[in-house]
Amino acid sequence: MSKGKWGFLASFSILSILGGLFFGAADLDLLSVLRCMANSCEANVEEVIFWQVRLPRVLVGFLVGAGLAVAGATLQNVYRNPLADPYLFGVVSGAGLGASIATLLFNGSLASHSPIFAYLAQIPFTYALPLAAFLGAFLAVIIVQILSRKLFGNRTEHLLLAGVAVSFMLSALSHFLLFMAEPFAANKVIFWLLGSLANAQMWFVWIMLPIVTISVVLLWLFGRHMDAMLLGDENAQTLGIKVDSLRLLVLIICAALTSCIVAYCGGIGFVGLMIPHIVRGWFGVTSRNLIVGCVLVGGSFLIWIDVIARVVVENQEIPIGIITSAIGSLFFLFALQKNRGR
Amino acid sequence: MSVPNIKNILVCCLLGFHSLLLSTANATTVQNFEQVKQNERQNFKIIALAPHIVELLFDIGAGEQIIATGSYADYPEQAKTLPRVGDHSRLQIEKILQLKPDLVIAWKSGNPLEDLDRLQQFGIPVVYSDPKTLEDVGKELLMLGDLTGRQTLAKHRADTYLTQLAKLRHDFANQTPVSVFFEIWPAPLQTIAGNAWPQQHLNTCGAINIFAELDNDYPSVSLEQVISKMPQAIIQPKSNKQSVNKLYNWQKFSFLPAVQHGFIFRPDADKLFRMTTRVLSEVEVLCKQIQQTRRIYQQE
Repeated sequence: MSKGKWGFLASFSILSILGGLFFGAADLDLLSVLRCMANSCEANVEEVIFWQVRLPRVLVGFLVGAGLAVAGATLQNVYRNPLADPYLFGVVSGAGLGASIATLLFNGSLASHSPIFAYLAQIPFTYALPLAAFLGAFLAVIIVQILSRKLFGNRTEHLLLAGVAVSFMLSALSHFLLFMAEPFAANKVIFWLLGSLANAQMWFVWIMLPIVTISVVLLWLFGRHMDAMLLGDENAQTLGIKVDSLRLLVLIICAALTSCIVAYCGGIGFVGLMIPHIVRGWFGVTSRNLIVGCVLVGGSFLIWIDVIARVVVENQEIPIGIITSAIGSLFFLFALQKNRGR
Repeated sequence: MSVPNIKNILVCCLLGFHSLLLSTANATTVQNFEQVKQNERQNFKIIALAPHIVELLFDIGAGEQIIATGSYADYPEQAKTLPRVGDHSRLQIEKILQLKPDLVIAWKSGNPLEDLDRLQQFGIPVVYSDPKTLEDVGKELLMLGDLTGRQTLAKHRADTYLTQLAKLRHDFANQTPVSVFFEIWPAPLQTIAGNAWPQQHLNTCGAINIFAELDNDYPSVSLEQVISKMPQAIIQPKSNKQSVNKLYNWQKFSFLPAVQHGFIFRPDADKLFRMTTRVLSEVEVLCKQIQQTRRIYQQE
């Protein structure tokens, strides 16, 4: 039975990747896409659209969905909290602050004030923004971790509360910066925070592929240790597991993974919360199964969500974070209602 | 990657990418460019990504060259039927590539720069429009005229525009100042200052913005601040689609000079905020209303 499930999921993931290639803003008919898949596109334009726009987007969608879902699943297991999610540790608000600072420093609006700002304006915004967002996201997780360890005795519930508090603090800082900045800066950062895969390029696939693969393999290797932690910290310790060290290691891996994703794609909420819950229903709580299931379900889920984002409104794209948040919130209300009777 | 056709290469020349091009294009191409540029440019397929660019292109007779635009282009009437390829937050890269434009003209402040960078990576020439002052509209006309090989008409339009602007300034700018509050948004109350686009309209009309000294170009202000400055006139730009009850209701403050005299003006926001030649006709309407205000206060 389990083999059948895995077979179905693996086939569904491959079909999702192939299926995602048939949808997009340009009118590429079925035959054109099939020809391009066989590496014999009819026109140059079709070749560019297929290989340089559509394919990277679908691949990035799969990697981002897989990465977010795996990060959510492992954090939920090691913290034994169904609400644990990288975003709760301040990743998005940290990335938002980084993006706000980058928008002010690198878009040239301050260039007339000082030669340093003029120099910074020379750096391409396309690279400056993800880098600043990554640093902001990672910094946020470090602040949350330090606060939690030094001030709150490293208790899980306090870690999550520290995450919420730091998120609000960083968001307040970003909002203040945007309030003081030129009006278009707020527009840019807000749309960026809503999340999108529209800028996906092949170089990002080559960056994300090793990051996601290494993270997933590392987390999978620690799967049995994480399973022991599901029994409680004391039981895990009697089994010889260094609970605090493992938790920190998992948090660092998940923070790095999520920071990379958020830095490039903006805030794509609820994937890390929702997908693990769905996968647990199919494969149980065992970490290794959960991680592999999350890769396949999370990746496929985001590909189809991105298809919706691309085609549902004519001549426009809906930011992907809006769709994931809408579906995620409804899913949670439904899940809560279903669990009420238990 | 699409093979850059001769027109693309010529556009690149036009954009000043000479150093880049000279390494790939031979001298003959550059010479040919000088000879054939007029005809070539008049046939460029253009994607104009902002309403003001579309309007200015129609102004100089290049409207037929536009093959697509962004979400909000609605003037002149023909612009409404143009295909759309994105908005201020996101461009549809696939669609733009499929349309094979010779040139994309974008608004630097209002279009997503990352998407435009990407188009350039695909070999599509991108030119930026970024008018900041009323004079810049004249410069934009000349630039667009040059890009589309319609220099004569563009120069004529630019000259007419600049003459009209100079006349407005001559007639109104140095008149007795009238203090005004310019309402951009009712809740929270937002106004203009510093280098905001409409601030120039007030300068042209000889009006004094009660918040001109604030640092931010579009600051939020409190009701108390507005009331304590007792503006002599209130300007609430309104677009045709907007209903009056979306604007702030100042009638409840009958002690304000502007309310007492009924000097609450509602110019056409679409004309006033768009960087096109139409802006001047609306600035003129505004200047005349302020002039009327000025006369009444002088009589009192």
